[in-house]
This record gives sequence, C-alpha cells and structure tokens, in this order.
Amino acid sequence: MADTASLAQPASNPSRSFTPAEEDSLRESLRRCSPATIEAAISYRREGDTKLLSPIIIGIFERFVESDQRPRLAGDCDDLRVIEDLGLDSLTMMEIVMLVEEVTQTKIENDELRGLVTIGDIKTFVDCRARGVQPPAPAKTILAEEVRAIMPIQAPFLFIDEARVSASLATASYRITGQEFFLAGHFKDNPVMPASIMLEALGQLGVLHLLSALPVEAGKVVGQSTIFFASTDGVRCSRVCKPGDVLTLTLKPKRVKVPLAVYSGNIRVGQEKAVVAEEITLTFGLVDAPVVVVPATA
Amino acid sequence: MPRVFITGLGFITSIGNTSVIVEESLRTLRHGMVTYPGFAADNIPIKVAAPVREFDTSSEDPEDWVIPAPYSVKREQLRSLSPNALYAMCAMQQAIADAKLAPEDVSNDDTGLYAASAGSPGILGRTLNKMNQQGIMRCHPLSVVASIAGTVQFNLVAHFKIKGASTGFTSACAASAHAMGFAFDEIALGRQKRMFVVGAEDGNVETILPFAGMRALSLNTDPETASRPFDKRRDGFVGTGGGAVLVIESEDEVRRRGVTPYAEVLGWGQASDGHNVAISHPEGAGLAAAMRNAFKATGITPADVDYINAHATSTPIGDVSECKALRAVLGEHAARIAVSSTKALTGHGLSLAGAMEAGFCALAIKRGFIPGSAHISELDSACEGLHIPRTTEAAQVRVVLNNSSGFGGANVCVVMKSVA
Repeated sequence: MADTASLAQPASNPSRSFTPAEEDSLRESLRRCSPATIEAAISYRREGDTKLLSPIIIGIFERFVESDQRPRLAGDCDDLRVIEDLGLDSLTMMEIVMLVEEVTQTKIENDELRGLVTIGDIKTFVDCRARGVQPPAPAKTILAEEVRAIMPIQAPFLFIDEARVSASLATASYRITGQEFFLAGHFKDNPVMPASIMLEALGQLGVLHLLSALPVEAGKVVGQSTIFFASTDGVRCSRVCKPGDVLTLTLKPKRVKVPLAVYSGNIRVGQEKAVVAEEITLTFGLVDAPVVVVPATA
Repeated sequence: MPRVFITGLGFITSIGNTSVIVEESLRTLRHGMVTYPGFAADNIPIKVAAPVREFDTSSEDPEDWVIPAPYSVKREQLRSLSPNALYAMCAMQQAIADAKLAPEDVSNDDTGLYAASAGSPGILGRTLNKMNQQGIMRCHPLSVVASIAGTVQFNLVAHFKIKGASTGFTSACAASAHAMGFAFDEIALGRQKRMFVVGAEDGNVETILPFAGMRALSLNTDPETASRPFDKRRDGFVGTGGGAVLVIESEDEVRRRGVTPYAEVLGWGQASDGHNVAISHPEGAGLAAAMRNAFKATGITPADVDYINAHATSTPIGDVSECKALRAVLGEHAARIAVSSTKALTGHGLSLAGAMEAGFCALAIKRGFIPGSAHISELDSACEGLHIPRTTEAAQVRVVLNNSSGFGGANVCVVMKSVA
C-alpha cells in the first residue's frame, strides 16, 4: 500500500506542460492517424479530459490494423483481443503501446503489458493511470489442467479447454474433437455440436468466472457445489459447429450479487458468430473460506 | 561431389532493376552514375554516386518509401526492413521467378540462404540519436533488426520462409563473394540442394560518405568519368547500392525441375593478404593466392579462362595491386584473357559487389558477351600486359573468374563455366 500516495498523483499535468514544440512532436507522431484522433490527443494533453482517452486509443489502433479490420473498431470493440481477433502480432502491439504511452504520457511496464489482452484492457489501464487510481488486476490465463482442477464439472461434460478471466471479462476456447459422446447421435452420420451444449459451455465459463475471478467478501468464497444454471434469454444460433471447429467463448458479467450472476455471452468460430445469448443467469452461494494455517511467528 | 549450377538471377542495381535492363546496360556501357542530391552540401567534397533508380528510401519512415511496381510490401514487413533488405527482397522475387521456383522449392529443409550487407548505418545512426534524445523506450521495436549487419538475412529468411542454412558474411567488399563460395560448398558437400546468394547495400549518404575519410572516394564531379577503373586518372571509387540474388542448385535439382542453367559454378578459392586493415597488398599477394586456390579447387588452368570480372574499384592503389596479381597468376595467358571492371558502370557496391558481379558473369556466359571496361581514356601503364577490352564484345565465353577483395585483405575468386 506504500504505492497509494504516488498513484494518487495524476501521471502528468496535461494543461501546464504542453508546449508548442510538444504539440508539433505529437502531431508528427500521430500523423498517420485520423485528424479527429490528432485533435482529441491535443485536446487531452491541453485539458486532461480522460473521456478523450478512449477515442484516442481507438484512433491509434485504427492506424495499425489492416484496412479490412478497421470497421470492427467502429462499434463496441472492448472485447476484441488485439492479437487473436485483430490479427496484430506482439511487435505491432509494442508499437501501439509506445504510441499510446507517448500520446497519453503514461508508462506501461512489460509485466503490466502482458496482462493487457483486449482493447478494453488497454483503455481501462490507461484510464486508471491517467486518473491516478490502481488499474484492476490483470486477466489471468487458466490452462486446461487448472480448468479441470477448479471446475466441479468434469469430462466427458466439460467444454472449456483454456480460459482467460478477469473480474470484468471471461474468454475461453474449446475445440470440438469429434469424440464427444453425444455427437454419435447428434445427428446420425452428421456430427453437429448441439446448441444446448453450446449454451452449457457458456454456463461453464460462468462457473469458472465465479470460482476464479470474483472478488468476494473476506473470509468467504463461492461454494463449488452452490452453482446452478437458472435461466437464459435472447438466444440466437447462427452457425453450425462441427468437429475441428475451435469455439471462442466470451462472457461478460452484467450483474453479480448473491445469489444471482447475470452474464451476456457469445460464441464465435474464427470471426464468424455462432451463438449469442443476451442473458445467462447462474445461481450461486458463498461459503466460509478454507482456514489457512499460518505458522505462529512473532 | 554434386555439381552446382546458377539457375536464377535478380537485380536491383544502379544500371537496371531487371536482368533485361542490366544486360542492355552492360552491352551498351550505360552507367548508373549521377550528381547525387544527398552530396549537395558545400562541405561534402564528393558529388557523384550511383543510386538505385525508381525506389526512394530516403525518408526516415519506411511507410513513406517509394517502391515501384510490381513490388508491394505490407506495413508489417516494411517496419523491419532496411533499404538494402528491401532491394534484396525485390531482387529475390525476380530470382525466384527467373529460376521458376515453386513456393515449396523455396521453403524446405534443403534450401538455404547466405547473404551479405553492411547493415544500415543510416537507420542505426537515427536509432542511436533517438535513444540519446528521446530515451531508450522510444526506439522502434524493430530498429535493431532493420539496422545491424544481418538485416538482409533476418528479413529474407523470415519473409520467404527459408528453412535450410542461413547466415551472413561480413568481409565488406568480398562479403557476398564469400556468401557465394560458402553457398557453393553447402551444395557441393551435399548439405543443401539449393541456396540463395544475396548481396545488398543501402548505397546512400550514410553507407558511402564514411569512405571519404579514408580518401577512397572519387572527387571527380563528372558522372561520365568519376568511375574509371584502370584509367590513369582514376581517383577513387563511386559508391552504389541495391540488391543482387543468385539461385544456385545441385545438378539433381536442375534435372528434376527441368530448367536450363545460366552457368555452372565450378568452385572457388580464397586467401588473405595478411598485410593491412584497409589497403590492398602492393603486389596483390592475397588475390593472386585466391586465384591460384580457385584453380587448384576446380582443376582449371589459365589456358581455360576467357574472361575475368575484376574487383578493380577505380582506386589508385587497389587497381594496380589487382593487375599485378593477374599478371603473376595468368602468365603467358595474361595478354589473351579479357579483363574488365563493371564497376565503371555500376559504381562499387561494397557487400553487394560480389553477388552482383557473379550475376553479371552468369549473364555474360548465358547470353554470349564480354562486358567492356568503360571510361578508360588513357590506360594506366601499370595495367600493361593485360587485355582490357573497352567496349562490350559478343563472344562465346566458356570459363569466367569473378574476383573480389575486401577490408582486412580478404580475397575471393569464384569460377564459373558455360553449360553449352
């Protein structure tokens, strides 16, 4: 907590330190960005309005992504993963980060950078830094083995290979192997992943989110045996998914408060949308955290 | 021992950006020298250079570079390129098409790439300036791979998905000749079936002007005569840049693919002066030894040789050393064997020179001509006793030597032979 005092200071004092020479240098750095982005950056550096950070960051992304990907940045793109979804490599990510750092006068350290996966992660991080508050804990990757250790659901009914979860977002992948027992009959000589199982997979990602990323009150944890499917609403299926397809599951918490966790979710295969669920609700309960035996010292 | 053949060529040079234009320039003695805008400042005593045409890589920002059709480079590739790696990439595309290589012929375990360039002093200098002025973390993440020696093979190996042997050579003006020699060895030793040999240089202010300090550059302000190897009034070399690529392949691959080679590479020799860091041995001892080693390795004798593409850069000392070496090694055949320096037309390409001139030799063998040694109005008496044709002659050439010498007194001689 010793860092709190220094974090409470804004990372820069934009209005005071922005000289004409710095404006020239900023324009030069951003000269391949849209005029709107350049003006937003100049305005941010003059007045420090953190609402401008989001359009500035999107403007910087627009300059680096291939032109066919640019429309994806127009709408709500917070969930887009920079590397997997936008097709940028880690070196381009470095270029983007350097430009964001320069324009917003923030500093993103290498270990912090590793936790920033989506455009939303970057926006939130820069915004927190600019406002002088602690950025949220970064999303963590949960590999297959750990998924199995955490989940009350197990093979042959577990539909998450690997996941990445933070308090505000959970993503996961599942590769349809063709060995799933129900595919033998769904359908005859034509294995298709059942829509009900796709919803089940989203529900399972909710379970993983509750068990691994939810901040709860001290001394309590979400009880592994307390979580059940409650309801779902606004479900649309738009793509048939078959063995060999890799499902990308995305789940965003809308409201989480005992005993209900409400999410919105979707499943994609590559860039193609397969399933949208406007609402998936789980019930859950809290139990006492296991007592950790602390060695008696001092 | 597998025999080795040249099956493809690619050129981005001051005398042409295709084999067709290069051949035309060699036949008509059309040179690439200009009054170079980069040397316009009054305090620069050098005025002439031989820049690559149609490209403009003078901007600090590669996204502003002018790259002529049919080439186009994506941003994600551009950001790691030096100018010389860009030229090499374009020459490589030509060479692949020329050799009729399918993608699977380029990318496999048996195909490698040896390259030579001095890196990009311009990008390196700008990166260090940025580091000093704006801080370490403001340097472009790819500035290292774009600037250090090795930039050519880093970029080309990744871009063309080369899976066999790859490395770079840094013997300066002998470097791409070394690349050619060791690439020959890879195939002759049965380690690889096919090799790309690449030479490249930026050929801009930052690569050329530092040679002014050692008084190696011509002060002649007339582009028509500034580069004149073997001429009495030569006063230094004219710098150039570009990229040259040769495809060399084993006999089995040539037969399997059913292509007609330009020439056979018979082998090569190398030797060092052991004399001075930058000045060639006054008697051309190292170069003479390199030629003798090449003869020994290939079983060729001076009696077999029709043409020698000399290293001669148009410096007062270097050209004389080479003439002495040639007379010593060729003996009674010196007066018959045609010797010319194509640097009179191209300028001196440093790490590019060996590969570019081996490419010229392959063209001369296949297309039946001996390039003339241009711009000689009065032959230096030190060159007497040699046959130095001043115009290009149509001729069936059977055996050709390509000489290269670099800093540290490194000397390479590559032997090529007609397949007709």
